[in-house]
Amino acid sequence: MGVLEGRVACVTGGTRGIGLAIAKAFLDEGAKVVINGRDPAKAQASMDGLAAGDNVHFIAGDVKLRTDCEAIVQGTVDHFGAIDILVPNAGGGSDYAPVAQMTDEAMNDAMVWNFWHTFWTMRAALNHMIPREWGRIITMSSVEGKMGKPAISSYVAAKHAINGLTKSAAKEVGTLGITVNAVCPGAIETDVMMAQGPGAAEAMGLTYQGLLDMFAGESAVKRLNDAEDVAAVAVLLASDAGAGITGSMISIDGGTSPY
Amino acid sequence: MGSKLEGKVACITGGTRSIGRAIAEAFLAEGASVVVNGRDEAKGQRCLDEMGAGDRAAFYAGDASKQSSVEGLIDFTIDRYGQLDICCLNSGGVKMTAPVAQMTDEEWLLEIDWNLNHVFWGMRRSLQHMIPRQSGRVIVTSSVEGKLGKPGIPGYVTTKHAVNGLVKSAAHEVGTQGITVNAILPGIIETDIVRTTGPDSAIAMGLEGYDQMIALFTQESAIKRPNRVEEVAAVAVLLASDAARNITGCLFPVDGGTMPY
Repeated sequence: MGVLEGRVACVTGGTRGIGLAIAKAFLDEGAKVVINGRDPAKAQASMDGLAAGDNVHFIAGDVKLRTDCEAIVQGTVDHFGAIDILVPNAGGGSDYAPVAQMTDEAMNDAMVWNFWHTFWTMRAALNHMIPREWGRIITMSSVEGKMGKPAISSYVAAKHAINGLTKSAAKEVGTLGITVNAVCPGAIETDVMMAQGPGAAEAMGLTYQGLLDMFAGESAVKRLNDAEDVAAVAVLLASDAGAGITGSMISIDGGTSPY
Repeated sequence: MGSKLEGKVACITGGTRSIGRAIAEAFLAEGASVVVNGRDEAKGQRCLDEMGAGDRAAFYAGDASKQSSVEGLIDFTIDRYGQLDICCLNSGGVKMTAPVAQMTDEEWLLEIDWNLNHVFWGMRRSLQHMIPRQSGRVIVTSSVEGKLGKPGIPGYVTTKHAVNGLVKSAAHEVGTQGITVNAILPGIIETDIVRTTGPDSAIAMGLEGYDQMIALFTQESAIKRPNRVEEVAAVAVLLASDAARNITGCLFPVDGGTMPY
């Protein structure tokens, strides 16, 4: 019997990378899981890989749109009858550049993708969780939610904003059986990292490998992290045993962030 | 019954009751062998009887504020089970705390030995065993007072801040050697030791009594209740497991949303 038996979870950006690892870990612990992504074709491959039958359900949607965010949460409730665990996991950035050259569009894209998507899904999910007096929200922050790096200020600002939202919401619902926590992974070579890393590296004046080496070099373990490491923490936070942890920002970064 | 710690060997200072006991039981449930430590031989035996884990559990009598006891626990564990994979430096507390202006040298030195030196002695001894094996977990029971401060418990606050620094520094020393070093920072828990020393601590803190002290701590949290030992034990299992190989130098809060960072 898994620690998430009978729970319903929703993971945005759940078809690959960290989101997919969390979905798999939740399924292994007995939860029913909605995974979200933009592309139904890509999702099919992920669903096949999970091989979880009726326990996993895909909802297509673009997390940069409020209506889609709300539809993903509502769709979870409609399909599985509840939403117990929300993981607003999707995120990223684009057109990285130093602040002096950062465009409004690039800053806005990172804020919508990371922060607004987290807010929209959190608000919608809390409205289901509060009357039921049970819930777990696990936001996807980053080591960059605690630290800063040049040329990725849009991403850094958005992840810091998620940490603030997480702490504030935790205080609002603390007595209602609902916890709100952030996980702060160090660099992981996910598909998103492989797609966006070269651009971020260029904005920092580095090669892609140089970027990865910089992240690893800042840590105590001197290597990158894995999606499964993050998933193990998500399971703990989502479980009944996680009831006493809220408003926290748990680092899975090999000893990188100073607090 | 899980298997996340199958084949692992753990030792826990202050392991016969409260947080340490909950960690011991959680580790046993995940397949580890565990040595628990405490001062009282009779309590130790009762603890072993209650846990009912047979050869997978042992007791080592000793005072965690004494270097010989802490090092003796590490050596005994390695002797008994052939290795040490997980060292939980959990014991700690205050005896007769007071505001700085009234703090006695005796109490101050006791708290330094019990809460800080004990962690250093245990960490040093276990790292000397873990480094050649390139594998290990050190888990320190710190406190919400390792990040915050309250009046009337200056020794406790100081030593818990200090162990957080020790944890971060050691984590960077052994980060590439398969060893993680982390602290768990629980909020207030109504453990035996809090129930025993709490009434005196409350007076040192300028409060009317024990209940008011518990209320003060819980009001600072988001969940408005004390934490539970099982909540700490679940985090200890995670940190001890293979899945936590990339969590190190971390100050892991289990405080119901009390700490600001």
